[in-house]
Amino acid sequence: MAPKFNAGKENLLADEAEVLQAVILADSFNKRFRPLTTRKPRCLLPICNAPLLDWTFESLALAGVQEIFVICRSHPEQIKAKIAESRWSKTGSGIKIVPILTAKETFSPGDAMRDIYTRGLVTGDFVLVMGDLVSNIRIDEVVKVHKERRKTNKDAIMTMVVKESGANHRTRSRADSAVFGLDSETFECLHYEPVMGYPPSTVASIPREILSAHPDIEIRNDFIDCAIDICSVEVPSLFQDNFDYLDIRRDFVHGVLTSDLLMKNIYCYVAKEGYAARVQDTKSYESISKDILSRWTFPLVPDNNHPAGHLYEHRRGNKYIDKDGTVILARTSTVGSKCLIGSSTKVSDNAQIISSVVGQNCIIGEGAIINNSYIFNGTTVGPGCVIERSIIGFDVNIKENTRIDKGSLVGDGVIIGPNAHLEAFGRLSKKRGIDTVDDEDEDEEDDYADSEEEEVEAAQGTITVNLGSGSNAMLWPQSAPDEDENDENVENAKNQRFMRLGDSASDLAFSDAGSESSDEESESSDDDSDFDKRLELPTSSSTSLDLPDGSSTDGIAESEFRNEVRLSLERAFTEGHSVDNAAVELKTLRMASNVSLSRVREAVVSAIVERIQIIDGGGIPQRQEIAHVISRWGPLINKIGGVDPVETIAALQTHCASSKRLLLFGQILAALYQDDVVEESDIRKWHQSLLSQGLGLSPGVRTDNIRKCWEIGSRMIQQFDERDSSEDDSEEDGGDAGNNTDGNEQDENEGEDEDDSEDVEDSSGED
Amino acid sequence: MASDPQSAANQRIVEDLVSRLRRRQLVGSRATALETLLVLRQVVSKARFSNIDQLVNIIRSVGRRLVDAQPKEHSVGNTVRKVLHHIREEYHTANEQPAAESSFSIAKFVLQGQPRKQATIPSSESRVLLKENDPDDPDSFARVLKPVLMEAIQDVFDELETVYDNISKNAKDHIHSDEIILTLGMSKTVDSFLKAAAHYRNYTVIVAETAPSYGGREMAKSLSSAGISTFLVPDSSIYALMSRVNKVILGAHAILANGGMFATSGSLLAATAARSYSTPVVVCAGQFKLTPLWNLYHEYGALDFGDPSAVLCFDEGDLVDKVDVVNPYYDYVRPELLDVFITN
Repeated sequence: MAPKFNAGKENLLADEAEVLQAVILADSFNKRFRPLTTRKPRCLLPICNAPLLDWTFESLALAGVQEIFVICRSHPEQIKAKIAESRWSKTGSGIKIVPILTAKETFSPGDAMRDIYTRGLVTGDFVLVMGDLVSNIRIDEVVKVHKERRKTNKDAIMTMVVKESGANHRTRSRADSAVFGLDSETFECLHYEPVMGYPPSTVASIPREILSAHPDIEIRNDFIDCAIDICSVEVPSLFQDNFDYLDIRRDFVHGVLTSDLLMKNIYCYVAKEGYAARVQDTKSYESISKDILSRWTFPLVPDNNHPAGHLYEHRRGNKYIDKDGTVILARTSTVGSKCLIGSSTKVSDNAQIISSVVGQNCIIGEGAIINNSYIFNGTTVGPGCVIERSIIGFDVNIKENTRIDKGSLVGDGVIIGPNAHLEAFGRLSKKRGIDTVDDEDEDEEDDYADSEEEEVEAAQGTITVNLGSGSNAMLWPQSAPDEDENDENVENAKNQRFMRLGDSASDLAFSDAGSESSDEESESSDDDSDFDKRLELPTSSSTSLDLPDGSSTDGIAESEFRNEVRLSLERAFTEGHSVDNAAVELKTLRMASNVSLSRVREAVVSAIVERIQIIDGGGIPQRQEIAHVISRWGPLINKIGGVDPVETIAALQTHCASSKRLLLFGQILAALYQDDVVEESDIRKWHQSLLSQGLGLSPGVRTDNIRKCWEIGSRMIQQFDERDSSEDDSEEDGGDAGNNTDGNEQDENEGEDEDDSEDVEDSSGED
Repeated sequence: MASDPQSAANQRIVEDLVSRLRRRQLVGSRATALETLLVLRQVVSKARFSNIDQLVNIIRSVGRRLVDAQPKEHSVGNTVRKVLHHIREEYHTANEQPAAESSFSIAKFVLQGQPRKQATIPSSESRVLLKENDPDDPDSFARVLKPVLMEAIQDVFDELETVYDNISKNAKDHIHSDEIILTLGMSKTVDSFLKAAAHYRNYTVIVAETAPSYGGREMAKSLSSAGISTFLVPDSSIYALMSRVNKVILGAHAILANGGMFATSGSLLAATAARSYSTPVVVCAGQFKLTPLWNLYHEYGALDFGDPSAVLCFDEGDLVDKVDVVNPYYDYVRPELLDVFITN
């Protein structure tokens, strides 16, 4: 049998030749867990009595990752110490964990990626996860798929793992999710659009180019984004090249998908089996705790493979009690289903624990009620206390008859009570100063947290609340700093409510966006990351399907771009550039401001139309003017990088509808037709589309004008039909039709006053 | 000293198996038994010891770690116990006069396992050289005993390898022509047992599909491909069909000392239905599944609750929040519901 052994060993060695690396971004880059995270990084918060980082390590170990880099920013010593003492650093664990300390200036995942690049940490395809992941997905399978794909397609730089769930799944964040557009066959991610709880959006805009290039597209709004990405080596370097990428999803994925220059592909892996989710806010903290206790994460469950190595006894109703026999449950106490109780914890008489997690060395006093709450190690809950849906930190002392309402977060070491009442969504932390000396010893560069606490302290004057006689706590103001620009917390306060524990945010859920705040405001403060003051990426980089001009969502970049196009075309017109040169200039502009093709087309069409001078009295001179301009510049429309005549007509229509040149619409269209910029079939197609008829638009002058244009189109089509049926002169078909059309427009221009009535007659006659 | 049990228990190979057991990357009683054996062999071959107690301690500590890693895979513990038994036996035969080998009795059956087929060592050599705690040459004891031990472990190994064949030897004595057999779940043991019987007899098998693992479907496919007339039925019709069934044949995950067993969930249903029709229930299981524990069924968690996603899909977002789903892997079947055990 000995030879067999050796063979096995060789296999092991061969496997080791290709080390699978993983990078954990152990910083959250936001503050949703404040004040629990003022003195402690989020990845060390316990969930089901094991630090989040351990869950993440376990998830990666399950996938056979051999080398892990942990990128830490805040409180790196704590993370290092934790890693050093954990079982992962023991020999024989088979995993090498390297903590990497990045600069304090690393304010976003993008910065961290750039740091990875400059340090040259990764050598091959690697797994990128956040430090708050709980997963049992076989990541090695995903890696295999990714590598397979890379063999055939070198541009497949990234595979994102997403998990199917219902749109209203408790674990799916409503505040920070996304709509994915996937190719049904290859699972290539074609479109990524972040969705927030607030402001609510009901429209997803899919760029037209995607729809035309891929026959089968799935548009999915039911994915949990697990934030597990299999990245190739190019990914950090792409971050390096694009220094304005901050968020991995919103900036990087979106940027890569919409860029015409990079030509890279991103794929999705839709996990059918397994569980993965991120503890990204207090709400998901609750739902993931529940998922773990209901065993969705099996085999990562408290009684089997607890990441911190505790042993729990699984009892009926998914109760988990520490196995070492140090838990004291009084005879008259009740422990409901879905509870976890750590070692050396004492539950006194008549206490009730319902769907909660209680840490180690806790004392639950007589008659206390703990409902759906998460209590960390070493906390004492006095007799008669009531705690509802809250997270209580380490070593908290809650004295008797205190009531803590839902959604509250109580920081480490706080003393409250007796007889205090903490209102719903209250946040408490320990006052500074009591042990400042201690703090400075352990965390010298904690000024950051200190300064924040100072602010809170400064606000104390305005808050009067009874926290009990023996309290050392200070209450954090209720989302007051949100208006204050100096505060780093720019997370949209309303959106944050979707992330808050115990907040159903039902009043916000489907309320009208306009009634709550203006669009401007929500745009500037929408993001999920504190430091994430994004450059305004065009939110409407794709053609919104129901608003032809999408102008309501135009950002600054958008208007700048229009201005640039106008100037560039003006120059081209006056200096008489060739069409090709003008086209090149436009392409460059488009790349620079990263807007979609249809925008460019709209801009070009409107510039050309504006170029046409209105000649009083219309008639032949007007027609000649139009013919001149169109024959000179018309071809430019199709040279900007893509040909979509239907869109051209629509752009012409929308432009004419809001311009003085409304009356020229028919003639311009005819001229375009004559110059072969548009074909007959295009006009028909345009004519049939709902948008061209002005349906679905709010009534107004513009809509009326759009309808007028459409009616002009109707007449043109009518002529096409007549010509087709009569089939007089098949040889001179084109010219004939053109003439006819012109004649018609001529009539219309001459009889301006009677326009409307004529139109009605015409169309009714046609029908 | 190198024989420190702790260091042995922390060897890389042990650690590797421990984590695979913990993560459920290695499941199934036979697979775990085989892996345990491989690890133990490696440990013994590397261990340094100068008397039997040291060796036993080493193996014990490794065994303890493995069992703690996954207490629900009982065959790990069973295998460790069996190896220990063989080592002690080997030691005694080497140390003493080869006394008339104690007769095998049913009472000792579980402890002793299968009768060793051959006296593995040329006795003369070992008797002369075996010397414990030799101060001059502390390794001499290990040097002499090791080859013997390796062979003893090899015997356990062979037994595991041949377990299916040995069990199915008796198949034709238990299954008669034109009988209707009911089984459920995917058990290699039952599968080979039924296939062996098919060489001699012509009979019909009804396989319950065994939700939510649907091992029964696999089983039915395997059986019908061997030319056995097979019906696949939903679990709900087990009771309805029981009146027509002549025999229920089940596999086991572990057989406890009180005669009860842990088996794929659904087994209790089948066994209870069989009881009400007085249909005999036959359990096919290798010896490595015989576990000296008996009071495990007091523990709720012993049934090994899995991931509810097999029962309720995770996609059902609204329901997940409101419904608690349990998905036990095993049923505990009481001893009074079982009639016959067939082992190797």
